[in-house]
Amino acid sequence: MDAFLHQVLAGLATGGIYASLALALVMIYQATHLVNFAQGELAMFATYIAWSLINAGVPYWPAFFLTVIFAFVLGVVIERVIIRPVEKAPVLVVVVVFIALLVILNSVAGWIYSYTIKTFPSPFPAEPVFGKYMSAHEAGAIGVTLVVLLLLYAFFRFTPLGLAMRAAAQNPESARLVGIRVGWMLALGWGLAAAIGGVAGMMVAPIVYLDPNMMGGVLLYAFAAALVGGIDNPGGAVLGGFMVGVLENVLGAFVIGNELKLAVALVLIIGVLVVKPSGFFGKVFVTRV
Amino acid sequence: MTGALLEVSNLHAAYGLTRVLHGISFAMQEGTITTLLGANGAGKTTTLRALCAMVKTQGEIRFAGQRIDKRATEDIVRLGIAHVPDGRGTFVNLSTEENLRLGAYVRKDRENVDADLERVFGYFPRLKERRTQQAGTLSGGEQQMLAVSRALMLRPKLMLLDEPSFGLAPLIVKELFGILRTVNQKERVSMLVVEQNAAMALDLADHAYLIETGRVVLSGTADEIKGNEAVRRSYLGY
Amino acid sequence: MTRRQLIPIAGLLLAACALPLLVSDYRVFQFNLVLVYAIALLGLNLLTGYNGQISLGHGAFYAIGAYCAAILMDKYGVPYWATLPVAGAVCLLVGFLFGLPALRLEGLYLALATFALGVSLPSLLKYHHLEKWTGGVQGIVITKPEPPFGLPINADQWLYYFTLAVAIVMFLLAWNLLRGRVGRALVAIRDNHIATEVMGVNNAMYKSLAFGVSAMYTGVAGALGAIAIQYVAPDSFNIFLSIVFLVGIVVGGLASISGAIYGALFIQFVPNIADEISKAAPWAIFGIFLIGFVYLMPMGVAGAVRMAVARLQRKAQNGK
Repeated sequence: MDAFLHQVLAGLATGGIYASLALALVMIYQATHLVNFAQGELAMFATYIAWSLINAGVPYWPAFFLTVIFAFVLGVVIERVIIRPVEKAPVLVVVVVFIALLVILNSVAGWIYSYTIKTFPSPFPAEPVFGKYMSAHEAGAIGVTLVVLLLLYAFFRFTPLGLAMRAAAQNPESARLVGIRVGWMLALGWGLAAAIGGVAGMMVAPIVYLDPNMMGGVLLYAFAAALVGGIDNPGGAVLGGFMVGVLENVLGAFVIGNELKLAVALVLIIGVLVVKPSGFFGKVFVTRV
Repeated sequence: MTGALLEVSNLHAAYGLTRVLHGISFAMQEGTITTLLGANGAGKTTTLRALCAMVKTQGEIRFAGQRIDKRATEDIVRLGIAHVPDGRGTFVNLSTEENLRLGAYVRKDRENVDADLERVFGYFPRLKERRTQQAGTLSGGEQQMLAVSRALMLRPKLMLLDEPSFGLAPLIVKELFGILRTVNQKERVSMLVVEQNAAMALDLADHAYLIETGRVVLSGTADEIKGNEAVRRSYLGY
Repeated sequence: MTRRQLIPIAGLLLAACALPLLVSDYRVFQFNLVLVYAIALLGLNLLTGYNGQISLGHGAFYAIGAYCAAILMDKYGVPYWATLPVAGAVCLLVGFLFGLPALRLEGLYLALATFALGVSLPSLLKYHHLEKWTGGVQGIVITKPEPPFGLPINADQWLYYFTLAVAIVMFLLAWNLLRGRVGRALVAIRDNHIATEVMGVNNAMYKSLAFGVSAMYTGVAGALGAIAIQYVAPDSFNIFLSIVFLVGIVVGGLASISGAIYGALFIQFVPNIADEISKAAPWAIFGIFLIGFVYLMPMGVAGAVRMAVARLQRKAQNGK
């Protein structure tokens, strides 16, 4: 029972990270109907920037916020420069561009930082918090995730800019007719998604260690989470993230062993796509985010 | 024709390779209601879309003296032109109130938006009842009112309305047109109304243009057009 | 095929046959891999270029073919040439089975599902319950086959000719398939699957078969590759292999048989040149080439060659 609880809580911690990344994926999907295959690498790259800052002597939280800003800007730039020209292109072209982005980010990180694994610090104390059930970092990661999600919800729900972004994603033509600059809303969406990814990367790096390929598996779980929750449903993506995290941990520890954990993601992805492509919360869970 | 609020000269428009407008020219004075009449496919909707830079055009469009034919839709809105599109263009997943507030998105005088919201509810009390309801669940007539209200939230100088009577019961159309007339008189909002329902449009408007296959074939005051033999037979049915 | 098209092809074949006798053993090995990749890319192109189904997971089929060959040779002593039909059959089946649920997925969703396959495959290969067959993380080492009948060539050269023969057969098969009714159906489905459905074409059958045949080609290539490299291990078959194949068909030319060859040459030799700059450089170059080709040369090298040839022919005609 103890071990089970521990797995569930650890699963919630990683689940929060999947939830954040899944949310970023859904944000971009809602606005563009495109799946951002490079989401993981964006997050990884931002995490490396954080590492550089911390190594240069910047204290953790200032480095954290600087990284979030950097990731935001990077997302905006990528949308305007690389994605904008292919927005209306055929699917294969779009996929190729995303994959190219993935590959370039990955290799530039490898180039600058080499492929040796690095440790990434956690801002939370090393001693476990809730007895042996959860480390402080895991608890902290859940906390940070929840804060980010709450801020996002508030932004979209209560600010004019958030409203405009929602409008632009749902109905670009009508949005133009009320004067919303849809192109910039897309760029903003990408910026936010990249920033969220950066936060997710910084939360997961202390657990999986920092190397250019660290986000591959995480991205897969995020995809699974986004699909389970409904690829155009932010609330569902968040719920899906936590579910996938717990499922992964519990199945991995008690049923199929740790090696097949990624296969769980694969099965989930294919299963959802085939059985219920709109996701389990696709039409049921109506949120206003 | 100087001093006109809107001047369209020799406007051509095409969707891809299909030419739809073949040199449309007309003008509107400030404070008037003008209607564009014509059968399906004549090019009326295209004309409105051309005014908002939603299709590729050639020719000149002047608004309050400035050329707007080379500008982007978002900039044209900022000049004070509100477009109530064909099909209403409701943000179906947002609430009624959110739809309305979006209408005021570009306004610099944020402090007046709440007051304008109340004013609009004054014209359409049913919208006030449904202010937190998801806009997609409103009836056709209510969505049309919402679309018109959203346009009003801009405090526009010119409103473009694309087939506002479409799919609405005659009683509702009468109510709606009555409110449009009131808005036009009280707030000096000029209106360009595209309509297939010629009879009701001619009752509302001051001036009318008849469009056939992308060209203006007849123009005059609403009374003149109403009295025209050919128009009466083809479009008014008597 | 016109007489005019036969001449460059004959020339190419002649050059291909003469090659091993003229260059070093290492180069022969490299060109062997070019042939292997060409077959794999032909498979992927069949699915993605001609039939419009995006696959980001073809590395998985390559891996399955490779492991088939390795396991059969290492554990069961099957001769190397006999592993090819087995690898092909297994991948045909697996591809077809994967293609069935994939029928309901379009564009991005299919890309996503195949991406998941490509990312998760290495971990499946490392699964400890399968270790006694797959060799786990260490993989399997196999011995290079010797030339038969005591021919006066070395093992590398023999393997090259063997691969060349297989490649010729597979290219002929593909060419025949694509220029006939099947090929037209595949392309028609790619361009307008609603119209084809309405016209009575069995979309589902063609699409699943396309997946199966495409997987079969890549699986056979995988087997040939395993035999050439003499080694299979899970981490060589990660998502980046699938991405390499994608690069290959984009650069070589989508919906083009010759594109498979150009693409194979690209993916074999460019990383070697780029490696000298930095370990990360090959991928940065791949990425840049991907974007560059997609924006500037969307028809790939094959398309550029076709246009150049057409222009030369026009000039020749105008000159007359």
